Amino acid sequence: MRQRRLRIVAAAAVAALIALAGCSSNSGTSGSSGGSGGPAEITFWQSQFEPYQQKWFKTYVDKFNASQTDVKVKYQVVPGDTWQQKLKAAQAAGTQPDVATTNYGGIPAGVANGQFAELDGLLPDKAWSDIKSNVGGFVQVGGKHYAYPMLVEPSTVLYYRTDLVKAAGLDPNAPPKTWDELLTWAEKLTKGKVKGMTIASVAPDLGWSSWGLQYNACGHLPINDDWSAANAKDPCYTKLFEFYQTLFQKGWIPQQPKVGYPDATPYGQGQVAMMANGSWAVGQLKQTFPAMIKNTAVAPFPSIDGDPSKPTATLGGWTLTVDAKSKHKEAAAKFIEYLLAGDPAIMADFFRQSGFSKYTVRTSVDQALAKDPAATSDPFMKVITDKVVATGKAEPAYPFDISLAFATAIESVMKGKSDIPAATQKASDAIDRVIKQQRLKGTAPKG
Amino acid sequence: MIDTSTQPTGQATEAIDPSGTSRRRRGRRAKFTEEVPRHLRAHLTAYLMITPMVVLLGIFVVWPLVYAFYLSFFEMSFYKDAEFVGFDFYKYVLTDPEFYESLLVGLKLALMVVPTILVLALLLASFLATLSKRMAAFMKTTVYVPAVVSSVVAAIIFVFIYQDEGFANWFIGLFGQGPLAWLNTASTALPAVAVPAIWLGFGVSTLIMLAGILDIPESYFESARLDGANFWQRTRYITIPSLRNVILFLLVSGLTLTIQEFQLPLVMTNGGPVNATNTPNLYIFNSFRDATPYATSYSLTAALLLFIVIGTISLVIFRVVSSEKSSDA
Repeated sequence: MRQRRLRIVAAAAVAALIALAGCSSNSGTSGSSGGSGGPAEITFWQSQFEPYQQKWFKTYVDKFNASQTDVKVKYQVVPGDTWQQKLKAAQAAGTQPDVATTNYGGIPAGVANGQFAELDGLLPDKAWSDIKSNVGGFVQVGGKHYAYPMLVEPSTVLYYRTDLVKAAGLDPNAPPKTWDELLTWAEKLTKGKVKGMTIASVAPDLGWSSWGLQYNACGHLPINDDWSAANAKDPCYTKLFEFYQTLFQKGWIPQQPKVGYPDATPYGQGQVAMMANGSWAVGQLKQTFPAMIKNTAVAPFPSIDGDPSKPTATLGGWTLTVDAKSKHKEAAAKFIEYLLAGDPAIMADFFRQSGFSKYTVRTSVDQALAKDPAATSDPFMKVITDKVVATGKAEPAYPFDISLAFATAIESVMKGKSDIPAATQKASDAIDRVIKQQRLKGTAPKG
Repeated sequence: MIDTSTQPTGQATEAIDPSGTSRRRRGRRAKFTEEVPRHLRAHLTAYLMITPMVVLLGIFVVWPLVYAFYLSFFEMSFYKDAEFVGFDFYKYVLTDPEFYESLLVGLKLALMVVPTILVLALLLASFLATLSKRMAAFMKTTVYVPAVVSSVVAAIIFVFIYQDEGFANWFIGLFGQGPLAWLNTASTALPAVAVPAIWLGFGVSTLIMLAGILDIPESYFESARLDGANFWQRTRYITIPSLRNVILFLLVSGLTLTIQEFQLPLVMTNGGPVNATNTPNLYIFNSFRDATPYATSYSLTAALLLFIVIGTISLVIFRVVSSEKSSDA
């Protein structure tokens, strides 16, 4: 009987070991080598963007792999809505990618967490000096570079249908300059099933798409510059709340948006006459709704008081970062140098593919595009570059919880769940809580 | 249970085993029977049979749970040493109004879904019990169909139903009402999410309820009929008391599952508008999506607290509606 018991215990132990082996298989260190003397194998995760981007990345990853024998890049596309879960699971298992797409706003928090490798010694000086001066700061923390920038894209631009504007008795050559004028346009353009415009109306979208308008209304975000306390109750935000509230409660924007803020489909399908959207919508319109282009004009999003020098958009965008635990940091940097910092023709090709809906971060790429008639003759590019990008602000680096708290206040007011004082008080309390719990006081990036 | 210590195979072997090995084995067995308490010997086979499952549960449930509680006292980072923070994250979660709001949303959803399912299932099961075999088989299949539909698919279907030009607005338009922004109005969003939850859940509940009804001896109903009891009296005094354990099971499992509803609000509303459909699991999921080490530890602690809350609710229900053996047992 004892033997039998021992056999059972042994069987259970074997089962446990098998189970544990199953759990631990695949775990290990990030990055791997293709064997002694073989190429350094690095993994590259790209957050899923518009289809043309996946095509561009795939093309140049293949070209990079074919161009040399030292580094082999394993390329993987990860949907944006599963990115964090997948990345955290990989980090826990030690199988995180060597190179990953990271947005500007995620860099300071990632550096504070020790997640990114410093790139200064890994990329040549000329790669850094090629970056435009207004973008250089986006990828630095404490004077050191932790990412290489790829592009910038303003979060908020006004698109409008010139044919519908004319039909409503408005002048398509004189787009609205103030929020009040925009509301008038939205009212006049709301006819039948066509709504006046579309803009973010749910907190997760408002959280980031309203940053530019928060700057526009108050000249600051709803937190002190040193992140020591909330600043959400500033009365200058009242008009921002009323602007969103009027659009929603008057029914001048869709009451049940079918897609999120970044998706231009409602405009492309003719369901709205105007659209607040990022510059990337140009690419979607050109590729998916080309017939709409001839009747579309772009303008800077109106300002609270008509002052065009005030920011109305933040400059978001993407970079490539190297994981701090990567065993092949040099190989990873070599890939980034090839893709983003090397031959300007590679990035010029990217911006061409994007329909010039995103904007360069390198002087040499600007020069390459200046020779391209398609770029210089693009009807939207000049307006967005000169009037939107020029006044754009960097994305805030604080945790998204703060943006979400303020955005929830905007949504509460829009949908009549609370009045402005109650909503801002709640947002203020929530932001103060985030500051305290996440120990943010005094941690704001300098400059 | 088989008491292995009394099996005669040892004696049979001894007869053809001149080496004496069997005697030694019998000696060991005798010693074992003296050492191991009788009640354990009696259930040994049962213990052996459940061992693999206990081991697997230990590895995949108990140990992760214990380890999760251990980790909840740290701010975890995958790049730096974890920092011991004691009960800080419990304090953070328990002082966050959004955590309580999400619990309230989960409870409200459960109160909309579970009683509705129980009443519908009881009525439908009572009706099915009266049908002919062939008709009942057809109806049972029909009723069960929603249960095999993916909740993601159901969520998308209902998003279409609630659109401005969807079926729901067409229907209320027949009465001169609407259109309503079902999923973007705080007062209608949660009931709008509850409808597909009911649709998905009531098929299984009906079949379980039907199985319970079919187990009630027909003589009870015959006697009641002879005494002149109508349908409602039979239901009130025979069916419902006889289904006490079935209803308890459906109540507890329905409540715990509905409070934890995740996919429907994720797909239909993403927790909005203004957190009106932000169920606890969705709240935890959205907390986890933030990239910071804080978010990882916070969502872990919130999940553990939700585990405690749901466990407590289940315990309270078991206390209030105590299960008992069937009257036929």
